[in-house]
Amino acid sequence: MREKIVEKTFDALFALEDLREILRKTAPFDLTKEQVEEARKVLAKVRKALDEIEREMR
Amino acid sequence: MVQTVGGLEVRAKEELFINLEPLQRGGIMPAEARKAALSYIDGYSTCDYCVGTLHLIKKPPIANFLEEVAGFLGMDFAILTNGCREAKFAVVHAITKPGDAIVVDANRHYTSYVAAERVGLAIYEVESTGYPYFQIKPEGYAKAIEKVKAETGRLPSLVLLTHVDWIYGNLVDAEKVGKICEEYGVPFLLNTAYSSGRMPINGRGLKADFVTCSGHKSWAAGAGTVGILAIRKEWAEKVIKSSKEYKVKPIEILGCSARGSSTIALIVSFPFIKERVKHWDEEVKKARWFSSQMEALGDIKQLGDKPHNHDLIRFDTPAFDRIAQKHRRRGYFLYEELLGRKIAGIKAGKTKAFDLSTYQLTNEQLKYIIDSFKDIIEKYS
Repeated sequence: MREKIVEKTFDALFALEDLREILRKTAPFDLTKEQVEEARKVLAKVRKALDEIEREMR
Repeated sequence: MVQTVGGLEVRAKEELFINLEPLQRGGIMPAEARKAALSYIDGYSTCDYCVGTLHLIKKPPIANFLEEVAGFLGMDFAILTNGCREAKFAVVHAITKPGDAIVVDANRHYTSYVAAERVGLAIYEVESTGYPYFQIKPEGYAKAIEKVKAETGRLPSLVLLTHVDWIYGNLVDAEKVGKICEEYGVPFLLNTAYSSGRMPINGRGLKADFVTCSGHKSWAAGAGTVGILAIRKEWAEKVIKSSKEYKVKPIEILGCSARGSSTIALIVSFPFIKERVKHWDEEVKKARWFSSQMEALGDIKQLGDKPHNHDLIRFDTPAFDRIAQKHRRRGYFLYEELLGRKIAGIKAGKTKAFDLSTYQLTNEQLKYIIDSFKDIIEKYS
């Protein structure tokens, strides 16, 4: 259980770094449609990782 | 409300602003390096599989990385240091002795001078051409070496050149300086804190005996500080010599240097560095465009090499200083106006002259910066 939670914790953190990268590359402008789409994909990865952590902890 | 972490303000400069700080632009880390640094953030994280000294560690692949870096820089060996200054000091300390002479350029970083002072060297300077170009002419090195010879009866023990300086972003013809050093038989240290990692460097081609690099300044490696000292094999015995008592510990770097996430950041950023140096011409083109647009605003003059050859650019800016004289916030007005437009990195209080870097900014960002400067001038005229 612990290994899986640790792995998914890093997956979530790493995905958030990808989100941060989008913000860093586009500052200080509003995100374009394509960038919002890219950010959504990243958020989906984060959510998936968090869901898996929750499942492991049940 | 200001977001805090551990009682400190969260630093979101790169996420919220365009950051023009020349010190910082080349050290901005790509996502993969930040991820790796995050997982290696604890103290001595590089040392899980220690083999006695940092530069020989195979897991993480520090030894392989250093071999590859040496080749990338056109040199024979490379070791990690805590920064470029420590790399310079390691060389100065290893190959000179108190009372020897060193020749340095007038645009040098202060640490080049301090490293020589720490060893007790007599420091001879190659003057710059002065206002407005402040260039270091390679032939000045021959004159300085001759001066050392005339005054001391000996050659200098070392010549140091700042490849690109931190004030004007001037790029010096290092190969010419290298040839002069070769002719005199004086070892040549090339400080590439603002060049390697940004632009291609071939130390051997430039006839450098030592190349010193800054990870956090130009190799996209933050997470602390880290440097590289690359050397030619002729100098290996002297500069990477080991302790008599502790056989695997190189004396000049006190055994092991950057023992944590900054080294990891440097390794993971390396593929990104190898790719980005291929696009240096585009960076120079952007810098030149930016410089011309700034001057077109009126009463702004770019200093240093013209046309410019680097992303670090210094401007004389009477256009802003005139506004500062009458503004209730005086010199701080420009910093605050820029901050309000989400532009950071121009030092607070500077309006007579300032430097900035255009490195890795997009055309859209650069145009936005020019438009912002224009807006500010128009607002107060």
